[in-house]
Parts: sequence; structure tokens; C-alpha cells
Amino acid sequence: MNEQDDPRLNARRRFFGALGLVAVAAPAAAFEADGGTGGLPPQKESEAEKRKPRYRETDHVRAFYRTNRY
Amino acid sequence: MARMKFLCDSDRCIECNACVTACKNENEVPWGINRRRVVTIGDGKPGERSISMACMHCTDAPCAAVCPVACFYGTEDGLVLHDKDLCIGCGYCFYACPFGAPQYPRVGNFGGRGKMDKCTYCAGGPQQDNSAVEYMQYGANRIAEGKLPLCAEMCSTKALLAGDGEIIASIYKERVQQRGYGSGAWGWRTAYREELPA
Amino acid sequence: MLIRRSEGQAARQRLAGAYQGLSAGGTDRRGFLKQAGLGGAGLAALGALPPRMTQAAEAPRRAVPIQRVKNVCTHCSVGCSVIAEVQDGVWTGQEPAYESPINRGTHCAKGASVRELVHGGRRLKYPMKLVGGEWQRLSWDQALDEISAKLLEIRERSTPEAVFWLGSAKFTNEAAYLFRKFGAFWGSNNTDHQARICHSTTVAGVANTWGYGAQTNSYNDIRNAKTMIIMGGNPAESHPIAVQHILAGRELNRSHLFVVDPRFTRTAAHATDYVRIRPGTDIPVIWGMLWHIFENGWEDNEFIHQRVYGMDEIRREVAKWNPREVERVSGVPEAQLKRMAQVFATQKPATLIWCMGATQKTVGTANVRAFSILLLATGNVGSAGTGANIFRGHTNVQGATDMGLDVSTLPAYYGLDEAAWRHWCRVWEVDYEWMLSRFVDKKFMEMPGIPSTRWFDSVVLPKDQIEQPTNCKAMFVMGHGGNTVTRMPEAVKGLEQLELLVVADPHPTTYAQISNRRDGTYLLPICTSFETVGSRTASNRSLQWGEKVVEPIFESRNDYDVMYALAKRLGFADQMFRNIKVNDGVVVVEDILREINRGTWALGYTGQSPERLRHHMENQQHFDVTTLRGRPGTPVEGEVYGLPWPCWGTPEMKHPGTHILYDTSLHVKEGGGTFRARFGVERNGETLLAEGSYSKGSEIQDGYPEFTVAVLKRLGWFDELTAHEKESIARVGGQNIDRVSWSTDLSAGIIRVAMEHGCLPYGNGKARAVAWNLPDPVPVHREPIYTPRLDLIPTPAQARVLAADPKAIAPTGTYPTLRDRRGYRVPHLGLSIQMRSHQVAKEFPIILTSGRLVEYEGGGEETRSNPWLAELQQDMFVEINTADAAERGIGPGQWVWVLGPENSARIRVKALVTERVARGVAFMPYHFGGWWQGEDRRRFYPPGTDPIVLGESANTVTTYGYDPVTFMQETKVTLCQIRSA
Repeated sequence: MNEQDDPRLNARRRFFGALGLVAVAAPAAAFEADGGTGGLPPQKESEAEKRKPRYRETDHVRAFYRTNRY
Repeated sequence: MARMKFLCDSDRCIECNACVTACKNENEVPWGINRRRVVTIGDGKPGERSISMACMHCTDAPCAAVCPVACFYGTEDGLVLHDKDLCIGCGYCFYACPFGAPQYPRVGNFGGRGKMDKCTYCAGGPQQDNSAVEYMQYGANRIAEGKLPLCAEMCSTKALLAGDGEIIASIYKERVQQRGYGSGAWGWRTAYREELPA
Repeated sequence: MLIRRSEGQAARQRLAGAYQGLSAGGTDRRGFLKQAGLGGAGLAALGALPPRMTQAAEAPRRAVPIQRVKNVCTHCSVGCSVIAEVQDGVWTGQEPAYESPINRGTHCAKGASVRELVHGGRRLKYPMKLVGGEWQRLSWDQALDEISAKLLEIRERSTPEAVFWLGSAKFTNEAAYLFRKFGAFWGSNNTDHQARICHSTTVAGVANTWGYGAQTNSYNDIRNAKTMIIMGGNPAESHPIAVQHILAGRELNRSHLFVVDPRFTRTAAHATDYVRIRPGTDIPVIWGMLWHIFENGWEDNEFIHQRVYGMDEIRREVAKWNPREVERVSGVPEAQLKRMAQVFATQKPATLIWCMGATQKTVGTANVRAFSILLLATGNVGSAGTGANIFRGHTNVQGATDMGLDVSTLPAYYGLDEAAWRHWCRVWEVDYEWMLSRFVDKKFMEMPGIPSTRWFDSVVLPKDQIEQPTNCKAMFVMGHGGNTVTRMPEAVKGLEQLELLVVADPHPTTYAQISNRRDGTYLLPICTSFETVGSRTASNRSLQWGEKVVEPIFESRNDYDVMYALAKRLGFADQMFRNIKVNDGVVVVEDILREINRGTWALGYTGQSPERLRHHMENQQHFDVTTLRGRPGTPVEGEVYGLPWPCWGTPEMKHPGTHILYDTSLHVKEGGGTFRARFGVERNGETLLAEGSYSKGSEIQDGYPEFTVAVLKRLGWFDELTAHEKESIARVGGQNIDRVSWSTDLSAGIIRVAMEHGCLPYGNGKARAVAWNLPDPVPVHREPIYTPRLDLIPTPAQARVLAADPKAIAPTGTYPTLRDRRGYRVPHLGLSIQMRSHQVAKEFPIILTSGRLVEYEGGGEETRSNPWLAELQQDMFVEINTADAAERGIGPGQWVWVLGPENSARIRVKALVTERVARGVAFMPYHFGGWWQGEDRRRFYPPGTDPIVLGESANTVTTYGYDPVTFMQETKVTLCQIRSA
């Protein structure tokens, strides 16, 4: 069954739609689902930068390893 | 050099979904996009096992092989990340991925799904580390902060391991030896082509 | 298409449209950062929030200073530390608390999402009241003025007993104590909370066996067990972090892990052995195990001789449960049972873990007693890796129980008799006579109140059936869901008859929408525990102090301040807060704990000062994960994490807390113990004191009674009391100081002297296999009220004989429930209702049981409002066996009606067809609400506060049935029919 066929769901959608909340609250909470930057200026990394290693065995990481042992 | 891996110890995984909500919490992923999920095999029957699945950050990633715009890139940590500014939402990677990792914001036909989103191993994307714009597009970059993916860090039973592949393999080996029976990690043999002593 | 989170892909986006935007709040991290990055643009969307939350920062993510605050997860009793990252007063992140010896960084789905609880847009934002069926906003002052005026009017007209005060297991210790104290100052014992429907039978059962009503060991200590039985519990869903310790223990010791359950749970999937039983047959299974144990001499005779009273009477009952009879009643085959019995008795240490599957029964107390007796018979109590590992349900259900938020006792289980009231009046520094004047009379002051499982009966039953001056007319609910109590159709009638209903909670709860009330309902927004400070007691008796993560959001206020504001209007704030400082309406929480410390001697909640608890939270990393002991050379050396009670004496005495109860291998000053000499010194010529067993370093190397001044004098230790202590004792005892005991001595002198001599202040007694004060002194099997096994209950004619003659014995091979009786001010029907089985079993042939899901908790309003959790469980469902489904033509995911045998109740849910349940058994989760017998009642919630996911409540179709000792409700065994909808 796909979601369009679910009458209850459609009813819910209409219900929420009627409240008009979808439009009101969306700006603050919306995920940039389309991969947009939310209006922020890009700060792109160079080809070399984006591939460089970042993993470090910090105390935090060591605590993870330690608590995974017995 | 350390190579990042995920490993799910299915002897430990109890399908509590902490990994799923930890991911939502850390990356503020919206409803409907599941970077990680737990899959249960043999639900309700003896032998039932669960495994937590996300992008496996493959060495030879099929998603990257089929992407028409080459938005994927591998990092020196062994992660497969992608550039949303290049993605055209074609969905080829979804068909190529054996794990169902790629997610889309909308249900739709070719090009109508929106840009692909997937597990970044909590390592952000090709924007400056931990900049606001990186967070908006890709979520957290815990690796750059000296941490590991939150799903693994918060796993209730320590089933989901993440980090340096060699270290987590040694942790896992210790468990198998302690248990005294064979490997319970799903995909272990496929991934490591190795039999462990019982 | 369905339901089960394992099918996440299919469920994806189902409610997406519904959810979008309504998540609102606007305070998630993305929103926060976005405003940060844009220099404060778009703040209009945050208009509904208080100013402090809209102070957007100028800089991105990590540039805004991060404050780390530690609190405790509010979703179960494991007590996982939560580390909150706060930026500019907004909770922006959660980090793993690797230093916590309890959770070591981990969480379950609920714990990993608690941040959303606080910033969740669906919380109640301001006080509201129902006027002509419409929700209206009003100010706090107006709401409290109106509520208190109405309460006083009802009090004047119908006595203080006409108000029912329902508190919460999610309270901190301080709030639970304050709420019980509030009830006392109001003048009624009608104060209850969720322990009633959770582990009240455990508390009654184990306290009546060996002295204290709590988990004997700890989650961590399970790592030491060589054998574990989980019976009537599903920790993989209910207590996931406990499973970390269970599985680690299983691997470390190559332990046996038996799961005994009617349902093949997610926990069973990780067991070495799964034993399926018919619901409601725990006692036959335990007695069947003991049959093999006694038959083969696997019992621990030395332990029994030294530390147990009455085991011979148990042997006589057990002899009836030969393997054939056990299989006939429970369905467990002989070989499986024998193996479990042998392993449990011989592969030691062994522990028994239980939860609601054992307790929520008409035989709950008897079940718990049988479990305890199995532990005693095999010597599996009082040492590492053994014990009754009772997993409690809520964050602080153990603590709230300990604080006496109950109808039958004052704080710390002092009871309700005059001595108890006089003790607490001394602690509270109020005059006993004044306190008495608050009540109807002395009889009501000392009479247990109405349990939460029966509050609606106290409203709707004819007045002559209620042992009260009047029926209940008002209910004040603080932190308690409305859909977790059975017989909901009758609860709805009760709600509709109340003159006043106050719901004080972060969410509106089921109470707000379920009835057709049109007036006289008030909703008060209370903040979560993350927005205030206080201590919580985990299941293992460790206390953990939580710090305030953020200020209460919206217009919400904390429990303490609301109770103060109400007490002030009701006219007893000055007396009630005599020793608790209140600054401009803000209660000093530490003062409440200090008062608790000064009064709870009998329980050992006295050494845990706020300072010591904070010290432990700051030094978590120094405690060992298995022993919970502070490591040598650290600031917490030798202390047990969270100072688990009993932590004897004053904080200055530095008692380390008690990791394992009744552990004789340690000195009392190191947390050692004996069984409590609580039941006298002798019975029928047999001693009730231990014989030849005593805790390490005890100068009395045998049993001894509890310490009083008289005992100290007899031992010649009286003059070891200081002048100051003697003076304090004289004030308590007046003319007769001899009867002042360790539990009423406010100076702790008696405790101090006893400990100096290596003795337990509560004495050194035997545990009781026979508890002569209970309805069944030796636990016996009794069939559930609604049973499909008509061959196991008397015929109606036989039942009439039984009912007429209290001495009549049940016909051979039948196991009737108890006769009709009264208790707790109301009638308690047993046998007469059980006889209905003869009429309904044919029409309702499927056994219905219920339980938890990992994503939700309790009534579920809070967790179903959390989008990260709601997305994972979008539909209420019933698990039905494949054969039962096939017979009825029911396919997976299809809508079905589940019909109950009372009130023509029915609910519309989705079918999950599975072999997880046996043929003839169905299972439903109990966290859903918002639908009522097919009707979606979303519109009855105040706008914007409806949980994302709604569904039918399992308890709409659950039925009558109560434990005789505590009035625990039966939720685990009833009957139902399932039809395709």
C-alpha cells in the first residue's frame, strides 16, 4: 500500500493543513531538505582539503574504545 | 593510516533504535529521512537477529561508480562523502547501493526527489569544518571535533562499533574469543574474508 | 507496509505531511544556527518563546560557548546520565557520558532523544481551562486562585477525603516527598503514584520476605552472574541499557540466560534458553522448579537453616507441583523445567530478574514471594551475582515509593499509625494535634487511602460502598498518564462525574481529551525534570543528582514551586515549608533533601546529602563498572556510586552506601547487611532471628533484634551515646525512652553505636518463606480472573459453596481466585467475577497480554510527541499468532477490532501477524491514546498540543482484577476476541 492510498493519512494531512500551521512554523524548523544552505554563504573546501584525514585518537575516542571492551 | 569502519555486533544488537534517534538528534535529520535504521531478520522467531544499517562507506563504492555528476568523493579516513551542490537527485546511487543508504527528501520521479542525503559518518561534507553552512547541508562533523559518529557512541549495548578499523576489529575479536563461539557480526566474513578461532 | 520499526523503509514519510511544520518550536539546532548565521534574521518565528530563547548568537556552531550540564534520563529506572550541551540557554546537543558507571555513554532510542522533550513544540505552553467544551488560556495566578478556591469549597462541603491526589514516578525524590507531605498537610491519605501499577506487588512481596522493598543487587552486578533467569520482563525494550550489563555478563561468564515469557520477546532472542509459558502461571513454574530442586537435593541447606524461616511449609505446597501438573497448567515440558531448575540451583551465582510480567497480576504479590523463595532456597541472595534484580519502570519510581507517595504509608515506609505520624510531625516540626485537625478524624488519619487503580470507583460507586464520608469529587493529577490504568470505559465515567480535574504536566495527557467533560478541567504546564534540579533513585537504589539544563521553557514551572504556590493558597504553606527555604516563590530544593535526610532513618536515605550526591556526579569516572565502588586513591575511594540506600546515619558519618542488600561478607560500615528483623523474634516457638549467620565484624555473632534504647541498655552499650544524643532521645521518648528505636531517634545515636559494634541497626533476622500476614502466607497458584482454562476453575455451583463457607477448600485440580472481599475503602471482587469466565471464554477465546515498546514510555503522550520517536512507531497494533489470524481471515497490517469482555469495549488497531505470540495469545503495547473505540479524538486536545502519533489505548479493553495486597491491576492476563475491521 502506498501512502497516497491510506485514507487516514490523507485525513490527517487535511486536518493539519486546516490548522494552517504548516506554513507558519516551517521557516524556522525546516531542514534544508534539498541540500540548500539556508541562505548562508558557502564556505567550500578545496579538493585537497575535503579529502584530508580528520580522525584523531583523542581522549574522547579512547573512552569510546575503552567502554566497548569488557 | 586509520581507516574508518562501522561494525554491528549482531549478538549484541537488540533493536533499541538508539542509533536512529541519536542520528536524528545530532544531525537534526527531518522526518522521513533515515540515515540509519535497524533491520531485523527472522522477526519473532528463534534465531531473530537485528543489525543497524547505514552507509557502509565502501572502499569501492557503487554509488560513486554510477553517479552521473561525480558528486561523491572518498576521504583519506576511508569515508564516502558527497557534494550536495553537485547532486541532481537522479536516484542512480539508490539503485546501486546494496544497503539502501541514499535517502531523498521527496517521493518522486527522476529528478523530482530532491538532493540525496545519507550518513556522513558524522563527518560533514565539503564545506569548512563545523561551519554553520556545513551543518545546514550535511549535519554534524564530529570527526573533525575528535569524536566518532554519535550512533555508535550511544549504542545501548555497545553493539555498533565505529572508528579505526583495526581497533574495532581487535575489540570484536576479543568478544568472540570471550564468547567462545563463532562470529556474530553480520557481514564479518564478507568484509574481512577471515575466519575467527572459535 | 506496516507498523514494526523493522520495516522503517515502508513507514517512511507516512506521517511526514502531518509532522512538517508542527514540529514547530523553532528551537532546534538547525533553526538556532540558521538565525546565528544570519545575524538574528527570522526571529519572528520564535515569537511564542520567552525572550531568553530568542537571543540568537552571532557566530556558528562551535563558536558559541558550550556549557555541559549533567542530568539523568527520565525514561526508565536504569538511571543513564545525560550530558546536555547548552548554548545561550538553548539545549543544542547531547554527548555520551562515558564516565557514568551505569550507562557508560550509551542510551536507548528514548534516552538518545531526550533533548527533544525539552524543546518539543507540542508541550503545554500556558495554563488552560475547559469552558463549555472550549480550551481557554489563563494566567498562572488566575488558574491557581480558581483551583484552590474550588478545592477549599469541596473540602468544606465534603471533607478533605473528597480530593484524590495523583503524583508521579517522574518526580524527583524531593518533589515526591513534597507531594506526599502536601497530601498530609491537606489532610488525606488519598495520595498515590505509578508504583501502584508497576511494582507495588514487588515492594509488598520482597519487603514481607526479607525486609526492604527494592532490587537487592544492581544492574552492574549482573555482570557477575553465572545464571540469569528473566521472568516476566523484556529489558531489551524496557531497559535496554540493562541489557548491556546482562550481555556483557553473559559473555564474560559464559552464563546461562533463561527467558521465561509467554511471548518470544527481543530479550528472548538473546537468551540461551527460551521457556514459553501460558500467561498467569508463574507460580506453577517456580514451584515446579523447586519440585526438581528439592527432589534432587539441589537446595542450599546451610543458607536455609541459618537465614530462612518456614521453608518446610513451602516443601509441602511444592510437593503438589509434580512435572505432570506443571505441564498441565503452564504448558512447560518436564525436561525444560528440570534443566532450568538444575542450572539455577547449581550454576551459581544465579539471579532472578523480573518486571511487570510478574507484578501486574491478581497474584502479583504471591508471584514475587514465590520468586524470592526460589532465591532463598538456592542461597542466591546477599552476594555478588545473585539476588532479586527487580527492574523498576520509571526514572524515580523507586525513590517516589521510598518517599511514601502511597496510600498506605508516610515517607520511608513508616506506615500510618500514630507513632509514624508523631515521628514525621517531629521531623516537620509541627504539632501532632494540629496535624490531626487537618483530617476528618484519627481513624481517617491512620486509614490507607484509595489506590490509583480504583480512583474512578471511588467517584462512581454508590456512596454506601465507599468507606469515606463522601465519594471523591476532585482529582489533582501531577505527572501521570490517564491510559495506563485498566477498565478505561469506567475511568471515563469517573472523569465525567468529577467536579474538578487538574492536570499538571508538560503535556495535556489522555486526561485532557478522553472524556466528554465540558467544564472544570485545568491544565497546568509543568517543566520536565531537565528544567529543574533534584535527585532520582535508580532501580539499584543509587541516588543521582540532576542539574538544571535550561530554564523552564514557555510558561512552564517546576513541581516544587507549583506545590508551594498552591499550599500558600490553601493556607498551610508556612507549616509545610517551615524548614524549607523559599525565595520569592522559588523553593530551595536542597533544603527538601536535607529534611528527607533528617527523617528517613528506617530506610537509610539519611547519609545522602546534596553535597555528597553532587560530589559523586562530579567524580563518576572513578567508580568501577562492576562493583560500583570508588577506586583507591580517588576522592570517592570506597564509596558506592550514588550512595545506594541504606546509607546509614548522618552524612558526616560517611557511610559508603549499600551496593548489595543483606551481604554478610562486608562490615556494616562498608555496606554489609543481614536480613531485617522486621517480623518479631519468635513464632510458634521457632526463632525468627538468624542462627549462626552475621555480617562481617559483628560483635554479636548470631541473630539479634532491631536496636532500641532498651536493647542498648541490655547490651551495656547505652552509655556510649553522647550527652547530645541522649538529650535528643529524651525529647523523642519523653517518659519512656526505652522504646525509642533506631528508626525514631533523630540524633542517629542508636544507629551510630550499633554500627560501632559491627551491627545492623535493624537487627539480624531470618527471611520469611512464610509470610503469615498475607492472604496467602504460602504462595499458591490462582487462575487469572478471566481464564480460557475452565477446567482449572470451579464450576459456578462449586464456587457458590466456596463463597458461602470461608473454610471450604477448592475442589481438587482447580485453582480459584480469592473470594470477594473489601480493601482500601472499596469492594474487591474476585471469585464472583472469575465465574464470568464460564460465560465469556467461548466468545473471547484469546488471552490478551500487554507490554512496552522501546520507543515509547508509559501513557506515551511525551514520547509520541517526540518526532524522532514517533516516526519509528506510527500505529497502534495487536500481535496475533499466524494460526489465529488465518482462522479469522486476518492479513498482516490489516485493521482489526479487538473486543474485550467488559463494557462491550472494542478498539480498532492494526494486526501484526507473528509467531512471537503463541496460538491463543495476543499482545498489545499500552502506550497509545487519543483514539476511543474507533473515534479519533485529536480535536479534543488543546490546539498544538496533540501528540504526533495517536492510537487506541490497550486499557480500553482490559478488565477487572486486583492483587489483594496492593490493589495492583491485572494487565497481563485477560481475554479478548479479534475480528477483522
